[in-house]
Amino acid sequence: MIALVLYLALGVGLLVVLWALARRKSAPVEGCGRQFVEARQALRTLQLGLLPENLIERIFDQEDYRYVTATSPGEISELFLQERSRISLMWVRRVRSEIRNLMHFHLAYSRLHAKLSLLTEIRLALDFALLLMACRALRILLYLRGPYGARSMVRVLTATAERVCAASEKSLAFLNPPALESFRRDSAGHGAAI
Amino acid sequence: MPGPTKHMDVLAAADDLRRRTLVDMAQPLERLIYLASTRDYNTGMYYHQGLALRFSEEAACEALADCHREAFEELVAASLEELVYDLEAYLKSTRVAAGDFIVAWKGLEPYRVAVPVGIDSLSSELVFSNLKVALAILEQRLMARPKPGASLRPLPVQ
Repeated sequence: MIALVLYLALGVGLLVVLWALARRKSAPVEGCGRQFVEARQALRTLQLGLLPENLIERIFDQEDYRYVTATSPGEISELFLQERSRISLMWVRRVRSEIRNLMHFHLAYSRLHAKLSLLTEIRLALDFALLLMACRALRILLYLRGPYGARSMVRVLTATAERVCAASEKSLAFLNPPALESFRRDSAGHGAAI
Repeated sequence: MPGPTKHMDVLAAADDLRRRTLVDMAQPLERLIYLASTRDYNTGMYYHQGLALRFSEEAACEALADCHREAFEELVAASLEELVYDLEAYLKSTRVAAGDFIVAWKGLEPYRVAVPVGIDSLSSELVFSNLKVALAILEQRLMARPKPGASLRPLPVQ
């Protein structure tokens, strides 16, 4: 009797998994252009606005703090730390938000268009999970220790985010201008226009 | 092909702008404020009569926008020490009483309207935040060595 219940439960579980997989496969392809554009926008924001090395260096480097403490009274150092904490927290929040946008895109649409191997997909899923955890941990550390208390975590987060961006770049490569140009050339011969 | 020609015009106009006008403005903050002042608040378009006459209005507009972005990016990359130096140099170039300048900049935060279009909000917040601290440092320095004309009186209109 117990074995029967176990087998039934296993069967139901498998059915649920199959149903979930079937639902993912049937994500609407029509009208998903907006999601592609949003994902492209998230990628651009990460690559150009949030992850450039000089910007991260500027926010988390201690040079400014050393300068303030050496030249100014305590209240200005305090103001500086408050301001830099605010900026660093804003940075983590923005990175997390853009990473989530990219993750939603990968979950829903990327698999329909990009030829990602199973290994790449697993690696990407792990990177997304690691990134979201790192963002959460970094926020807590920044609250507790201030902007200069979590440099190694910042390095882990940026390295992983860059990896995810590189993988997403491949998924969205067909939206790049040269790819669009060749698509336009190909379609022009058949009387179609973009 | 109008594309590359237009691009060459913009590059030439930007080069001209750097050589003739911006060369006298050593600090990026000074260039930022000047270039922001050539932008129409209502249209977001940049105007420079001399440059438009030599090139075209469109090329002049794009050249001014490019130089504006360039100046802003220099400010993003600047350390706090450099920013304090920039601010002090800009203050001297305005020939306004130091106290009045500090009070106006702290109260009105005029740098907030000097951001070029398309800049990520995090970069602009970083610059605003650094300018706020740089102003506090400069104010503290001025109070430590008061000069004639440094009145530090409150703004007439808040």
